[in-house]
Amino acid sequence: MEQVGLAAATNDVSLWSLFMQAGLVVKLVMLGLIAASVWTWAIVVDKTLNYGRVRRQLDGFEQVFWSGQSLEELYRTLSDRQTAGMGAIFVSAMREWKKSFERGARSPIGLQMRIDRAMDVTLARESESLEARLGSLATIGSAAPFIGLFGTVVGIMTSFQAIAGSKSTNLAVVAPGIAEALLATAIGLLAAIPAVIAYNKFSADAGKLSARMEAFADEFSAILSRQIDEKLQNPRQAAQ
Amino acid sequence: MKGSLATSGLLHALVLTWAMVSLGSPADFQVADVEALPVDIVPYSEMTQVQQGDKKAPKKETSSPVPTKRPETNQPAENVGDNDTDLKTPPTPNAKPSKSEATASPEKNDKPEPTPDPVEQEIKKVEETKPASEPATEVAALPEAKQEVKPETKPEPAPAEEKPAENPEAEALPEKVPTPAAKPKVEKPAQSAKTPDRKNEQTPKEQKKQASTEESKFNADEIAALLNRQDPSAGGAKRSTQEAALGGKKTIGVGLSANEIDGVKGQIQGNWSLIAGLTGVEEVRVTVRVQLDPSGNIVGTPEVTATGGPEGTRRAVESSTLRAIRRSAPLQNLPPEKYDGEKGWNTLVLNFDPSEFAL
Repeated sequence: MEQVGLAAATNDVSLWSLFMQAGLVVKLVMLGLIAASVWTWAIVVDKTLNYGRVRRQLDGFEQVFWSGQSLEELYRTLSDRQTAGMGAIFVSAMREWKKSFERGARSPIGLQMRIDRAMDVTLARESESLEARLGSLATIGSAAPFIGLFGTVVGIMTSFQAIAGSKSTNLAVVAPGIAEALLATAIGLLAAIPAVIAYNKFSADAGKLSARMEAFADEFSAILSRQIDEKLQNPRQAAQ
Repeated sequence: MKGSLATSGLLHALVLTWAMVSLGSPADFQVADVEALPVDIVPYSEMTQVQQGDKKAPKKETSSPVPTKRPETNQPAENVGDNDTDLKTPPTPNAKPSKSEATASPEKNDKPEPTPDPVEQEIKKVEETKPASEPATEVAALPEAKQEVKPETKPEPAPAEEKPAENPEAEALPEKVPTPAAKPKVEKPAQSAKTPDRKNEQTPKEQKKQASTEESKFNADEIAALLNRQDPSAGGAKRSTQEAALGGKKTIGVGLSANEIDGVKGQIQGNWSLIAGLTGVEEVRVTVRVQLDPSGNIVGTPEVTATGGPEGTRRAVESSTLRAIRRSAPLQNLPPEKYDGEKGWNTLVLNFDPSEFAL
């Protein structure tokens, strides 16, 4: 109440003074919303960079993969370094393939299944890393307006108590309190709107990338299956 | 992730700093310096209802005219003043009370008593001397008067001296000249015949001026009061003892006050006798509409309408109310000035709750 009285006296409605005049709850709400906004934008920056990188990797890998290079060679170059996306799927499939043939597996069906499983696991891990933190964007997008509204309601309650205390409905008494309360909603919306937009965009992007990886996994699985059949027939032909 | 978090934090810091600077002090509202327009809320009744009072006095809760000096008279009077008779001219401070009866006709010519205003008489004389440039015929018409006048007016007395001299003549004249209109004519030709030049030389211009100033005071609305020759400055005969307060010359369009209505209701209730043992009297409400004449007598049959309660009780209450009203006629203590008008008590509407007094 004193703060509102002070505001009426000084008539200072700059952002900083509005924030400083606000009550503890409203201050906490505002700080939390600013933190949420910072987090949202951190995710936005991170995801933008990440997805760009992944897309470039996929493009590069597809180019190399379909260039007619030997799979063995490709595996040798890729298995040494940390890979992501299609590279990781390819490496995991090749590793399974190698292991099975080194130990002299005889069942082509079992080998096929193992390779598929390995690729599925890697695919799941990759899409999980693509979609990581998108959930928090969704949460911020949906909850921030409500949190801001809560701050506004508390602020306006305080403001009305101040009116009751000062026994004056002068606009100069009422306005700063309400402006301060509305600031909370403004910050909430400021955090929520980019979060919602970013969430929609990134989930769509992640879906696209995952679909692309899945398609590659299927394709590679088909290639390997063909290879297995060939390898299983060749020893027999060789033996005959 | 750390890098992007730092980037985001930096972005926010930048935006917030910019907001602090640019939104920090919003521009003040530039309100043009408009002068406040005073607005009075004037109820309609302030224009249509006027209480008698003084037009120049300060406003008070109740209007009252300028206080008068003379004691209360029993005579009903409308206009305030110290007069014994009710004149319409407003009272002026240096007035002397006049004892004579108010009469509108200017019949003073019959009476030989000295007129209070010598100047006016002179004006009349001058006016009539001008057309009388050939007075020979008129003088000839009344030779007796001429003969009598001649010896007296020859020494050329002052106009003031002439009048006392003429008045005795006037007293003597009536036998020979019974018509009062002829009398002044007799005197004036006599004077003009003697001293036409001097009269015209002495005062014609001055007296014309005086005459014109006299004429400018003429007000057609107060013609009766102007024609009345008794002391007009004393005003009417209504007495007032209260301090003057803002109000009109007359009371116009004002209805009875709550006290006065209560007084009338009290008179009627005093004559009320209701049959005991009626059921549901407390639910009955009676509305009475009475036409009154200025002395408080009932004109025609009062309309009595009872509502609520059982049928029988309603009829009994109606008839007893009618009896009470007839018995209490003529109604007393009704202010005569509030009789006329839409809200006046020429038609009185009263509401009664029989349960308040009849049980």
